[in-house]
Formats: sequence, C-alpha cells, structure tokens
Amino acid sequence: MRRWAHRTHLAGLLLFAAAACGRGSRSAPSGGLTVTDDAGRAVVLAQPARRIVSLSPGVTELLFALGAGDRVVGRTTWCDYPPAARAVPSVGDGLNPNIEAVAARHPDLVVLYRSALNETAAAQLARLGLAAVLVQQDRLEDLARTARLLGRLTGADATGDSLAQVLERFASGPRPPPRARVAFVVWDNPPVVIGGGSYLDQLAALAGAANVFHDIGSASAQVGLETIVTRDPDVVVVLRDSAGPPPEPPGFTRRPEWRAVRAVRQRRFVYLTGSLFGRPSPRAPQAVAEFRRRLEEATR
Amino acid sequence: MRWLGLGIVVAVAFALAVVLGPAHVPLAELLTSDVVRSLRLPRALLAFLVGGSLALAGTGLQALVRNPLADPSLLGLSGGAGLGAVVAIALHLANPWALPLAAFAGALGAMALVYRLGLVGGAELDPRVLILAGVAVGAFTAAVTTAVVSLSDAAELRNAFLWLWGGLSGASWDSVWLLCVYAPLPIAVLLAAARPLDLLALGEEPARHLGADVESVKRRVYVAASLLTAAAVAVSGVIGFVGLVVPHAMRLLWGHRHRPLLPAAFLGGGALLAFSDTVARVAVAPRELPVGIVTALIGVPVFVLLLRRWTAS
Repeated sequence: MRRWAHRTHLAGLLLFAAAACGRGSRSAPSGGLTVTDDAGRAVVLAQPARRIVSLSPGVTELLFALGAGDRVVGRTTWCDYPPAARAVPSVGDGLNPNIEAVAARHPDLVVLYRSALNETAAAQLARLGLAAVLVQQDRLEDLARTARLLGRLTGADATGDSLAQVLERFASGPRPPPRARVAFVVWDNPPVVIGGGSYLDQLAALAGAANVFHDIGSASAQVGLETIVTRDPDVVVVLRDSAGPPPEPPGFTRRPEWRAVRAVRQRRFVYLTGSLFGRPSPRAPQAVAEFRRRLEEATR
Repeated sequence: MRWLGLGIVVAVAFALAVVLGPAHVPLAELLTSDVVRSLRLPRALLAFLVGGSLALAGTGLQALVRNPLADPSLLGLSGGAGLGAVVAIALHLANPWALPLAAFAGALGAMALVYRLGLVGGAELDPRVLILAGVAVGAFTAAVTTAVVSLSDAAELRNAFLWLWGGLSGASWDSVWLLCVYAPLPIAVLLAAARPLDLLALGEEPARHLGADVESVKRRVYVAASLLTAAAVAVSGVIGFVGLVVPHAMRLLWGHRHRPLLPAAFLGGGALLAFSDTVARVAVAPRELPVGIVTALIGVPVFVLLLRRWTAS
C-alpha cells in the first residue's frame, strides 16, 4: 500500500493531493515511516510505534480512542481520561518534561504538545535517539489533524482517518442559534476571560452560547470588571479543576465589586470541569452536549 | 505655586479616573451610573490611597536606610506578601478575603523577619544590615513562592502571577473603607517623623547630638512604613516603581526637608497611580494592562525629565 503510494507519488499522479496535505506521511527511502510534525520537523520511525510516551492529555485520549491505548507506556500527571490511562505510569509534567523520566520508559515515540520549551525537549530527546513529535493542540480543528498523524504513527491509518472525519464533520456541523450570552471567567483578580482564539469559544458556539469576549483574538485576556458589566453576559461560566463536590458559587462572586455583574447578582453560573472542557479531545461532542445541558439548566 | 500645581495634577488625575473607562458613560449620567458608583469611584479612590501610601512609605524608608534604592520590594515586604497570596490560592481558601489577608500576613511575617535580622550585631536597625536582610528575605520568599507554584496542582496558580504583578481590579467600597480606617495611623506616624528624619539625614551620631531619639524614630518609621505597604499590597498586589521613584521626583521639586516632602510624596504617588490605572483600563480596551507596567512607562520619563532639569541647574 505504502509502496504503491510511493510509486504513484513518483509518477506525479498524486502530486496535487500531496501538495494539499503537505503534513501527511510519506514512506521513507529506507522503507520506514516519515511524518512531518506541527513544528515542521521530519520524524522518522523504522516501524509503527509500539511504546509511546504521551506528554499531552489530549494526545493520550486520542491514542486510546484510536485503539492504541495499550501502547501508551508513559503519560503526564494531568492525563486522567480514559480511566485506563491512569494505570499508565506518569512521567510528570507535559510542559518542560523530565527527559530522564521519559527516557526511562524506553519509548520508541514521544508525543509532545507544541510549545517553545517542548521544542527544546524534543531536540534533547532526538539527541538521545528517541523519536519525538510535536503536535499543536489548541483548537477544534487541530484534533482531526492530530488524529490522522497519530493514526499513521501507530500504523492505524484507516482508524485515524475515520476518527478525523468524525471530528471534522462535528467541527463543521451546524451552529445552533445562541440561546445565551456567556463570559468565561478563569480568574477574578485581575479578571481573566476566555477570548475568541480558544477551544472553549468554539465549544460555546457549537453549544448555542455566544462568548461575549469573542472579539478578543487571543485564547485568554485580562479585562476590566467594568467591561464585563458592560458586555452583560446572561451566564458566567466558571472552569473547575476537577469534578469534585457539588459546585458552589466561587468565592469571588461574594465580593462586593462583582455584584455589579448582572449574571452574578442573578446567580447564573455554569461549571465546567477542566478535564472535559479545558483541552481539545475526541470527547468534544460529549463536551458540547454537556455544555448545552448545563446552559439550559442555568437559563431556565 | 508648587502646591497649586500638585493640587491641579491630583484633581485632574482623579477626574480622569472617574470620567474615563472602557464602558461609555455620558457625562450627564456620571452621578447616577451604577458602573461609576460601584466600580470606578472606589477604584479611583483606592488607586489614590494605595499610590499615596506606597510613595509615603518609600520616602520614609529611603530616609531611614539612607539609601536611594530603598523601596518596599527591596525590604522583602513584597516577596512576603506574594508568598502569602500564593499559599492562600494553593490551599484553595474560598473566602473572598482570604487572599488579601494572607498577603497582609505574609508581608508582616517578612517585616518581622527582616526586623529581627536587622538586630543582629547589636546596633538596632543598622541600615546596611536591614537592606541585606531585606534582599535575603526577598530572595528566599521568591524561591518558596516559585516552589509552591511549580509543585502545587492547582491550575489557578498560573494566574497567581497576574495578581503578583499588581492591579486594582479588586477595588470595592469595602476595601476603600478598610484602608480609610487602617491607614491614617501609620500615615500620621510617618508625617510626625518629618523633623527627626531631617536630622537622621546628617548621620546617626549628629542626629543624636541634636536631640533626636534615633532608635525610637527608626523603629517607628520602619514599622509604620511596613504596615502601610503591607496593607497596600494586600488590596492591590505588588505595584512596583511608585514607592521608589515618586519620592525622588518629589525631592527634586521640594528639596530634602521632610515636612513638605512627605505630604507631597503622598499626593504625587496617589496622582501617579490614579492616572496610571486610568491608562491601564482604557489604553487597550476591552483588555486591561497590569498597572505596574503603566506606572513604569509614565513614571520613568517624568523622572528622567526632572533629573535633567535638576542636574542642569
């Protein structure tokens, strides 16, 4: 199959298609597997990965969704889904990872979240002879591409493609008319809100919520309380670390200055857990359904 | 004339802080607007009080240790406050007043530690020992703060650094009243120490010969300046620069006599912070800048201008 693709590629028949998906895989001259990661680095594997250290919770979820969960031999402290992932030994943090702890798992592939520090870590891993792939994991559209990439790296191309198609169809699905205007408050002093460049903003749109700070291009930004009052959201969305005891209104909503926000006075809060909502994952459809349900509860 | 000028600067800074903001409030509705009454007005007042307190404390500390670099962060107070705040966040203390209280406690802890170290070697509050102790305590608290942030699993801690950079978004009438009740005593203590601080500038021995109770003055000024700074940090985070440069700027205009210098520093610091906060709120709306950036961006050019005028004459 791969050899065939290689030959047709040489024949120039698929030149146009290859140019369109320049990040896809091609067979390496040696007969191994070459992919280009999201940082533009070419990574060569002699064979599909058998021992993978995943340094991003979203990647861990994708690997399990692709049926490659039994090949995950290392994860981060933050990889808490699916439950089976917790049985995998943790190697610590995924940002600026502990290289020795990663190497001690003897992986043949390390998948890292793409960031400046992690590009250094990937180079260090490469010097140890460990294949390292950097993936962008910030937005809904990153999911399908990562699913395809991981599918190829694990020799499950078809599964990767079909998961990617499901996710693409979901991401480009119809957006319901907004039923509520929301503000995501991730920190109160100073107020930090989620902007239009974020994954949560995309989930909100799919769940029928309009982010009142959609016009802010970055993922999050510090804003004035006065601005929140003026934008007048119907609901304040609060992110929580984990699903713990039944949610209580966060402490800041009892501070007098926050009473100026209508949604706080009316006690209209929606609580979202970071594990499901804080990172792009194949559970995005589930997250949107859950978001919609909680929104309906809060605005009833 | 100078006082009139300073008065005008204060009035203009305060008026701008109330009139301008990311939300558009027509002038006619200024008095009835909820945004102005519950958010802008307390914030402008708090900015003025905090800025004034920091500048006043800085003036006192610089005179006390006879070092132009002295400011609240050099004496370990900011580091202690930051550590207290980060611990409060890491422990998930839900009470809305937990963070300011923890910051206040941290600042007082650092103050006590530096004070105790300042007693080492017999001479009470030796300026050199005080500064070294302040720097050491500051470095130590910074290390512990970073350790807590990197080891704790509370995701909120990333945002703790935002709080540490300072800002007045926590302003409410409660915090204004709190400061109004709390601050007058340390402010009065500092203003009353004007004459002995003048004598102290001559050196401790001459001051003693001229009748100043040096040990007692040093102790009073140190404790009052620390208490004032601790409260300011508790309500607004660590706002740098005001306590360092406003005293120098005012010294260039009013000279080294503390009787006019101390109140001038209070008014100047208040005006600078009120104006800086307005810029922070409005400049990149709907976003907001950390106010410490603005105090430095506005304050440094003004300071350089004054310095040039002063060295030219």
